[in-house]
Amino acid sequence: MAAPQLRILVAVKHGVDVGLARADRTTGVVALDTAPRKTSDFDRNAVEEAVRIRERLGGRVTAISVGSASAREALRDAVAIGADDAILVTDPAVPVFDTRAVSRVLAAVSRTLGGFDLFLLGEGSSDHFAGLVGPRVAGELGVADVAYVRKLTVDATGVVAEKDLERELEVVRASFPVIVTVGQEINTPRLPTFMATLKASKKEIRQLSVAEIGLDAAHLDPTVRIDRAAVPATTRKQVTITGNTPDEVARTLVDALRTEGALP
Amino acid sequence: MSPESVLCWSEDPDLAGQLVRLARSVASGPEDRVFAASFDPPSDDGSRRIAEAGAHVLIRPNPAGPASTDPHVVASELRALVDTSHVTLVLLGSTKRGREIAGRLAGLLDAPAETGVARVHLDAGAVVVEREMLSGNALAQETLIARPAVVAIMPDVSASSPPPTVPVVQQVPSTSPAPLSERLELRPKPSGGVRLESAERIVTIGRGLQKKDDLVLIEALATALGASVGCTRPLAAEAGWLSDDHWIGLTGHRVKPRLYIAIGVSGAVQHLVGMRDSQTVVAINKDPNAPIFGQADYRVTGDLYAVVPALTKALDAK
Ligand SMILES: Cc1cc2nc3c(=O)[nH]c(=O)nc-3n(C[C@H](O)[C@H](O)[C@H](O)COP(=O)(O)OP(=O)(O)OC[C@H]3O[C@@H](n4cnc5c(N)ncnc54)[C@H](O)[C@@H]3O)c2cc1C
Ligand SMILES: Nc1ncnc2c1ncn2[C@@H]1O[C@H](COP(=O)(O)O)[C@@H](O)[C@H]1O
Repeated sequence: MAAPQLRILVAVKHGVDVGLARADRTTGVVALDTAPRKTSDFDRNAVEEAVRIRERLGGRVTAISVGSASAREALRDAVAIGADDAILVTDPAVPVFDTRAVSRVLAAVSRTLGGFDLFLLGEGSSDHFAGLVGPRVAGELGVADVAYVRKLTVDATGVVAEKDLERELEVVRASFPVIVTVGQEINTPRLPTFMATLKASKKEIRQLSVAEIGLDAAHLDPTVRIDRAAVPATTRKQVTITGNTPDEVARTLVDALRTEGALP
Repeated sequence: MSPESVLCWSEDPDLAGQLVRLARSVASGPEDRVFAASFDPPSDDGSRRIAEAGAHVLIRPNPAGPASTDPHVVASELRALVDTSHVTLVLLGSTKRGREIAGRLAGLLDAPAETGVARVHLDAGAVVVEREMLSGNALAQETLIARPAVVAIMPDVSASSPPPTVPVVQQVPSTSPAPLSERLELRPKPSGGVRLESAERIVTIGRGLQKKDDLVLIEALATALGASVGCTRPLAAEAGWLSDDHWIGLTGHRVKPRLYIAIGVSGAVQHLVGMRDSQTVVAINKDPNAPIFGQADYRVTGDLYAVVPALTKALDAK
């Protein structure tokens, strides 16, 4: 039997804002530590899905973020969409691009909370896009996982989930507790109302240190180091094709492509 | 430095062969060993490719049983092989299934892991990888410090062909874990029958197209060019005008044709990452400031409804 109250966790990352991150003009290097941040795209879908399930079946949705104090923003986004509780694990010891450390923290939080029925995550974070954290937490906890889910049906004992693979759709059934990762196609996250946003800004965020979830710094030693992240230099010719009429433009383009060998 | 012991596995036989070739070039020391795991019957195509690609050892769990696709089963079996063969590096394919297994296995091993890897080499005992970050906006170099390390490799990463081997077949007792999930159904996705990864020429259409019926313009141009039709995410995921196999980008397919023509495509980061390796890029857009122009060899500013038919005509004329 599942718990009478559905316990739903959802992970939200306050990642680098991919649209706003700027590279150094000469070196192309992006300073990841200081880049502007925002809630990772698919995590909004994860929160939306969690809230819809609670709206249908009851229960509680707890959003968890691992990061610096700024990650409160991601949690406020989650609460504005409808999460009931928000937990921030913040500790300079956590290397946020090391999926080992982040997964260990998420697994430890879930243990501290006494487990879950359903744990929703993004299938990849917008900045790192590893697709590792969800299945990794599942491996650590020894629970079922279903990744790349586009359709999710939840009942009292588990889920039926449709996975979107490269060329196939796979429908699987798994009993609670289960970890599910989702992408953009699963739903359209609601735009929080002004009132919801205001309420979220006042919501108390529970802050936990790694010690409080039973980990010590050695559990979080970095195992992956980012040596360098840089925007690759573009080497396109950037030739502008002009002409007085579309036909003239077309002929000029076709000639250029033939000369270059791009057309037979 | 102690010898490397690399374990390769992918559910895709083609990719499994590529992983073995890559492993042989990464771990090329005289004492290094390349293991390939196969859960399939010995007669299977995958086993043959693994052998041709140059694995030293082909490991088969015994009994092979029906190959389960439950991530827990696959990751547990691989984990047992890592232990018995003292594996230092695991190479998987960076497909969706492969990334899921990579995460699960890394969790079981408490190992560092990375996915979407385009290059990998060893440097003084550490595993150095190159991969995309920031939704494809940046390329990162990362170092995986601890061992064993789990690395999921993008399809079609090139590697030199090592000398062929006759792999030793090693049967290991299967750990036969009980699955945690059950497959109810597996069905092919609706398909337009294209395989953009291997297309020589691609004509990609974006939201500049006003209605589905206008696709005929794009198809006519593609025919004149001998090209396949690609699209941006909104056309496949939102409008549903084209099936997913036409979708190019971060969450779609990665392509590298000889010629790429982007029409009515703005050039969002998440799209560019899918086409960046194209040889020659043409952009047709009515907005002279569209970001796609920054990634183009030939830029045509204009209305696609005028330019595309003219281009088709010019191609047919010659
Ligand atoms: C996590 C995430 C993943 C994503 N993954 C992908 C992905 O894999 N692939 C992908 O493509 N997108 C992806 N996207 C979406 C991406 O951000 C863009 O929204 C999308 O690529 C825009 O598609 P578009 O260029 O067709 O449309 P728009 O951005 O709307 O651009 C339309 C263009 O057409 C031009 N145009 C309009 N009318 C005409 C005309 N008559 N003649 C000529 N030009 C005209 C306009 O000037 C404009 O530049 C992703 C987004 C996120 C957040
Ligand atoms: N620092 C973090 N805090 C909370 N959740 C995270 C964090 N990092 C990753 N996640 C979750 O894991 C998912 C996949 O991340 P990744 O493995 O980095 O692609 C994200 O979409 C989030 O749901």
